[in-house]
Amino acid sequence: MRLVAVDERAAAEGLIVGMPLADAKGLVPHLTVREIDRAYTARVFSDFADWHSNASPLVSVLTDLGEWGDLVLDITGVSHLFGGEAAMLSRLMARLETLGLAVTGAIAPTIGGAWALAHYGGAQVVEDGLNALLAPLPVAALRLTAAQCEGLHQLGLKRIGQLYGRDRRGLQARFGESLLAKLDQALGYAEERLVPRLPVTELYMERRFAEPIGLIDDVLMTVRDLALQLADRLGRDGQGAQAFHLFLYRVDHKVMTLSVNAARATRDAAHIARLFVHRAERLEGEYDAGFGIDTIRLAAGSLAALGETQIGAFETDDGAASLDQLYDRMTSRLGPLAVLRTEMVDSHIPERAVRLTPVIASTVQADAPPVIAAPRPLRLLPQPEPINVLAEVPDAPPVQMVWRRVTYRFVKASGPERIGVEWWQAGQPLALTGPAPPAVPGGSFAEPYSEGEQTRDYYIAEDDGGRRFWIFRQGLFGLAAAPRWYLQGVFA
Amino acid sequence: MPGDKHAKLDTLRQQITAIAAQPALRDTAHTVVGGGLLATPRGVLHEVYADTPRDGGAALGFALAQAGLLIESGRPAVLYVQMSADAQELGLPYGLGLGLFGLDPRQLVLIRTAGIAELLWAIEEAIACRAVAAIVADIAHPHKALDFTASRRLSLRAAAAGASVLMVRYARDRETSAARYRWRISPVQSRPPPFDDRAPGLPRWQVTLEKGSLDGQHIVSPEGEALVVDWTRHGFARVAADDRTGGARRTAPLSGAISAALGDGLSQAS
Repeated sequence: MRLVAVDERAAAEGLIVGMPLADAKGLVPHLTVREIDRAYTARVFSDFADWHSNASPLVSVLTDLGEWGDLVLDITGVSHLFGGEAAMLSRLMARLETLGLAVTGAIAPTIGGAWALAHYGGAQVVEDGLNALLAPLPVAALRLTAAQCEGLHQLGLKRIGQLYGRDRRGLQARFGESLLAKLDQALGYAEERLVPRLPVTELYMERRFAEPIGLIDDVLMTVRDLALQLADRLGRDGQGAQAFHLFLYRVDHKVMTLSVNAARATRDAAHIARLFVHRAERLEGEYDAGFGIDTIRLAAGSLAALGETQIGAFETDDGAASLDQLYDRMTSRLGPLAVLRTEMVDSHIPERAVRLTPVIASTVQADAPPVIAAPRPLRLLPQPEPINVLAEVPDAPPVQMVWRRVTYRFVKASGPERIGVEWWQAGQPLALTGPAPPAVPGGSFAEPYSEGEQTRDYYIAEDDGGRRFWIFRQGLFGLAAAPRWYLQGVFA
Repeated sequence: MPGDKHAKLDTLRQQITAIAAQPALRDTAHTVVGGGLLATPRGVLHEVYADTPRDGGAALGFALAQAGLLIESGRPAVLYVQMSADAQELGLPYGLGLGLFGLDPRQLVLIRTAGIAELLWAIEEAIACRAVAAIVADIAHPHKALDFTASRRLSLRAAAAGASVLMVRYARDRETSAARYRWRISPVQSRPPPFDDRAPGLPRWQVTLEKGSLDGQHIVSPEGEALVVDWTRHGFARVAADDRTGGARRTAPLSGAISAALGDGLSQAS
């Protein structure tokens, strides 16, 4: 058991991170020791990280050397709001120190450089001359693994400055690519991106409260006001937005996020507010205000130019805009996979020929759907159901079938329509709708390509009650081991 | 005076009996122009009943046909609402098969909800949109939430907004509802196309209007039977009585030798 973290007083007594617990207790007999719960700490730390989005929208937790402890903020273009980079750094650190946390920080042009300086240099702000400042730091400041560090020490390379100008291929062969990647990232020769935890937004309106609020109705009322302000600002810029995010900053430094999407760029404040009302109805157990919410921010992402909307005297209003708003409201209340549109796919396998895509996400299709001469059923079952069929071999139409434990006798049939295998898609599973229904016994459809096994013969069969079914046989007699019959659709 | 009152009551009773005795579908020799056979006004709530989910194709076909007749330039969209749990039992509308009903697959939007409350909410939201022509709701099993109050609410909203709602249900019993029209659809053997007398032809249904009346439209039923219609691309077409058993030459099942390979499956098949 080793020490993972020590506070100032323990460090003053000579304890360091990584020391075995027995040695530590020997050094300091009256030591207070707690066992770390890593998952809990990681979670709390990432919640805490979200709170920093009120300083900069791009916040991320660096998990290179541990799941918690390193917070990266991209402050490009934000520092002037705080009075400069140095002022911003000191303010953020002071804010955390008042909460009782031990903090160091650094601002640098690259993530790797900032990390190195924060951990191994002092708290500082670096504009240029990063190479010179990094040179005297130990190689562990490059976020290398323990094995790599030890290897470098054995070679006598203890400072970052000693790595400058070395033979890269030798280093790569000995230590792997990650060493060179980290070095280049720290010096700025390679790009390192951070993945922001919260959605990136381009414009926001914010309201702070003197007293924290908690009820969802009060939150929604504030959202209405903020939506009006946001719409006003978007109107002045001639823009509309498609993604709206609501950030609720709690008093205990956690953030709740709600997002809604619109099918087309909009700045209609009433519509935006209504979308959030519907979204809130879908929340159920997720809304937890804790000790209260003290800041609410409504942000807009995916901005696009949106001119003045006018309905001219001679234009016919085909209602597309009101339909889009209807779909937005339904999506925000029922979920993104609930409102679907049929999209035609260029495939001759029937269940692949159409795809159900969310209306919000679908792009406008310019081409007309392909015209298929053969009749197609009105209803398609998401999973074809296996049936027992009597039919004359090799390819006569079915005479009788048993489906869902009921027998049907056919009086008319037409077919077969032979649909071959798409050999370029062999092995891929076929799915008609998003959420997969439970697996139907009788074989899967993700089988390797085999023409005799997988060619289908489709029949339209009408029974004595007038019901018309779309039935297929998978596998050709003589070429397949056991041809199977399935019912895939029902005609009108 | 009491005698007058009794006389008046008797007259009223006779009038009511006369009205109730008239069948909903009355006799005529010709179809009505400017609306077509079985065309209904806008903004009404329909209930389309089929006996079992096996007849689901016919019921949905009728509902989509009616919805297609209601599309116009200012109202281009038709919505189909279903609960996700019913998808495998009933099936989903297939885009490539909608052309027969005058619907562009890009115009039909499918809405899959988790429960009956959300389904009713979705129907109400869709009615409020002025670009929706009709909403077809496909409900496989009876629900407690579909009571008289819910149907009255939907019919009032539909009348106010001008969008029709067609609720497709599968049951033999009828519940009280405020729907203005109640149809019962069952499939009927179709007339085979001229080039192949063993193939199925145009969809053919037996349509009974159990509740409501289509004013000004007189539909054939001389013997008091239900109406049998074909659905062609351009609307409903009445089927004459002598043509009812389409392909009467072939009422027996198709004959053919049964392969020995299927012999072991016969016991399950019968």
